[in-house]
Amino acid sequence: MYGTLALSHRALDDLSDSAGVRTIEELRALARPIEGLRVLNLSVTGFGTGTAELLNSSVPLLTDLGLDCSWQVVRTSEEFAHVARAMYQALGGVYVPWTQEMTDTWLSYAAMNADLLTEPFDVVIVHDPQPSAIRSFVADPGAMKWVLHCHLDLSTAQDDVWLQMREHIEPYDAVIMESEHFLRPDMPAPMRIVPPAIDPNSPRNMPLPDDVVRTVLERYGIDPDRPLVVQVSPCDAASDLMGAVECCGALYDEFPGLQIALILMTEPHDPASRQCYEQLARRSADDPRVFVLSMGDEFGNVEINVFQRAADVVLQKGLRKGYGMWISDALWKRRPCVVAPVGGLPEQVIDGETGIVADSNEEFTQAIRTLLRNRGLAEQYGENGRRHVAQRFLITRYLRDYLEILNELHRSR
Amino acid sequence: MLGSVPTTPKSLEDYRPVIGDERAEELRALAEPLKGARVLHVNATAFGGGVAEILSTMVPLLNDIGLNADWQVIKGAEEFFNVTKAMHNSLQGMYYDWTPAAREIWLNYNKLNADLVDDSYDFVIIHDPQPAAVLSFLDERQGSHHGKWVWRCHIDLTDAQVQVWDFLRPHVEAYDAAIFTLPDYVKDDLTGPSIFCVPPAIDPLSPKNVPLPQETVDGILRRYSVDPARPIIAQVSRFDPWKDPLGVIDVYRHAKIEFPELQLVMIASMASDDPEGWDWYERTVRRAGEDWDIHILSNLNGVGNIEVNAFQRSARVVIQKSVREGFGLVVSEALWKGRPVVAGNVGGIPLQIIEGETGHLVNTGPECAERVLSLLHNPDEADRMGANGVEFVRDRFLTTRYLRDYLAIFNQLAGTGAAQAQSLKPGLHVRS
Repeated sequence: MYGTLALSHRALDDLSDSAGVRTIEELRALARPIEGLRVLNLSVTGFGTGTAELLNSSVPLLTDLGLDCSWQVVRTSEEFAHVARAMYQALGGVYVPWTQEMTDTWLSYAAMNADLLTEPFDVVIVHDPQPSAIRSFVADPGAMKWVLHCHLDLSTAQDDVWLQMREHIEPYDAVIMESEHFLRPDMPAPMRIVPPAIDPNSPRNMPLPDDVVRTVLERYGIDPDRPLVVQVSPCDAASDLMGAVECCGALYDEFPGLQIALILMTEPHDPASRQCYEQLARRSADDPRVFVLSMGDEFGNVEINVFQRAADVVLQKGLRKGYGMWISDALWKRRPCVVAPVGGLPEQVIDGETGIVADSNEEFTQAIRTLLRNRGLAEQYGENGRRHVAQRFLITRYLRDYLEILNELHRSR
Repeated sequence: MLGSVPTTPKSLEDYRPVIGDERAEELRALAEPLKGARVLHVNATAFGGGVAEILSTMVPLLNDIGLNADWQVIKGAEEFFNVTKAMHNSLQGMYYDWTPAAREIWLNYNKLNADLVDDSYDFVIIHDPQPAAVLSFLDERQGSHHGKWVWRCHIDLTDAQVQVWDFLRPHVEAYDAAIFTLPDYVKDDLTGPSIFCVPPAIDPLSPKNVPLPQETVDGILRRYSVDPARPIIAQVSRFDPWKDPLGVIDVYRHAKIEFPELQLVMIASMASDDPEGWDWYERTVRRAGEDWDIHILSNLNGVGNIEVNAFQRSARVVIQKSVREGFGLVVSEALWKGRPVVAGNVGGIPLQIIEGETGHLVNTGPECAERVLSLLHNPDEADRMGANGVEFVRDRFLTTRYLRDYLAIFNQLAGTGAAQAQSLKPGLHVRS
């Protein structure tokens, strides 16, 4: 038995307003042949990652669809966490000097966790590669189907780390990746692409009355009647937070009331991020138009919701890797977005259709100017963005992809 | 000069509708003799932590009311902050090997900051132990100091490691005054400064305490799969043995027998680097088992101020089943939402709960369960206590009272006579 997590019950029918009754019926039909299928989702952490957020929505919804679906976290300790972090970085393309000792630690935890797999399951879905070696240590792995759902961009993964992991992934029945662009040329096992998704019913996306939006903004010192640019992102150098500030700063003369809010979803972890936080903190101290808010212990989902709804323009000045799904959260709220051409951002913001893709600081400044000046265009992008997310990035689409894969695995038994 | 921290302006007038004319005027009267007085707050960090949160409200309010307040942070490198962090923990009861090297680092940085500090202020408030020796170095350098210097201690010194406190004490004794959170936190062997007690306070204008429309509250509950139509009890606390999360579940189970529709919401603030917290999180989840009417939520899945606000407002009864507690300000937060609180009789909680008036103080699990049940059975009684709680907090535990205490202390130190005219609340002024 692994570590348990607190989950809530969810009713799929509650999504019919967002996704349509027909979609819900289709999902129910797809789930029928695999009713009662025992599915275990295994991950390294229960919180604070995009993976955890998706599981938080998808596991209760798959349960409501009649599957026997659970989510558990592997047993770890500080030494494993250290290796897992290094692995995450190496797979993301940040060079890590990998040692035999790290491999040994990694494998010893895989072996230990394999012994904890005592309940019977039909399918085990391993989320992200860190726990992927568990299969190699399970007594009778063939008794269940094994799926690796990798939420990372592996395109620049460090060779030695990837190759030793690849060996353990090879016997898997399927590997799920988020995007064609995130693959390595030597992917093992049968491949599926399942892009991530947002939950329209999460507290981050629920509708909020205007007066609540206004009041909350005021409590954070923001004037709801002046233009507001918002960026939600991790606190890392790649998010180019200072760049976002500069781009808005260049528009102070034209839009004297302009305010910019930077919402940091993670604490600064490494020296480069800490330096970036420090710079930003100093800048905001000197410039009353810049607001820095950290999603530490107090700033929560509803606050992000408020700030996104209130934004005249939503920015994503940069991104280290991956999708940056908070842009889909903003598009769902019909906000016009300006994003860098990185990771999964251009799949969400189609340039000139659901927003603007910009590269240099000048392009960003120009794009913000355009959207602040031309409200009609901004609204049009917002409408298009909502439709685009409804078609491609809602949790119901994610569930459909999952049900199809699970059906296939079930049939191939 | 030390690093200046700018703040967002705030206005006392925004608080007037909340606190009423009488209290607003009292503040103005207390500020009158202090008009133009220059106040400097000095602490270790501009970001994060309770002290920075208090200062970001206090400093602009002091300015708004006619004083001239600044907030500066001390200079220090990593080695200094490593030492002060350990020092902080040891003053709260953890063991720390207080080596000569550590002492030297602490003293050196304090000396450096003493050279940077501006001594022309009328009142200087030094927060917490990190910069506490700045004054003794200043005195050493120039023989005396200009303004009134106050050491504001936000931590509980009850179990302080003797060796560390003995080292710190002479530096604190150089101050004109020292302010503690609770009388219990004052060390008996501290002599010299006048001693005051100023308990913490909640900001009625913060997002955690702002009024929310019912439909938004219900909407938020539903998004977390909580049914607003069924009764709720709630506890907002870290998962650790001192907040007894397992005991809370037992209380709920007991009450659930008579109220099968009852839901329990537990909201924790979790730190990713706190293994004990994870351990207790899991124990709590296991104790909850597959009872889906128990909702275990945390900041790590994005539960923030507004969610806490909504859940506190929706609870029939708020529980704070602490077996050990600092001040436990979360009790005032819940009272301010008009809800009765059943809480452990420890730390600062008895200051916030008037037995039978704003809630109940309890010592055991069965007692807690019995009180919760009786409030569930008597919603009118619960509402009455809730209403009392709002008035009680309005009087005792709002930011404006905190401001008032500071003004009274400044008046007393400056000998303006205004503090005597507006006598300090009993218990505030411990000894001088």
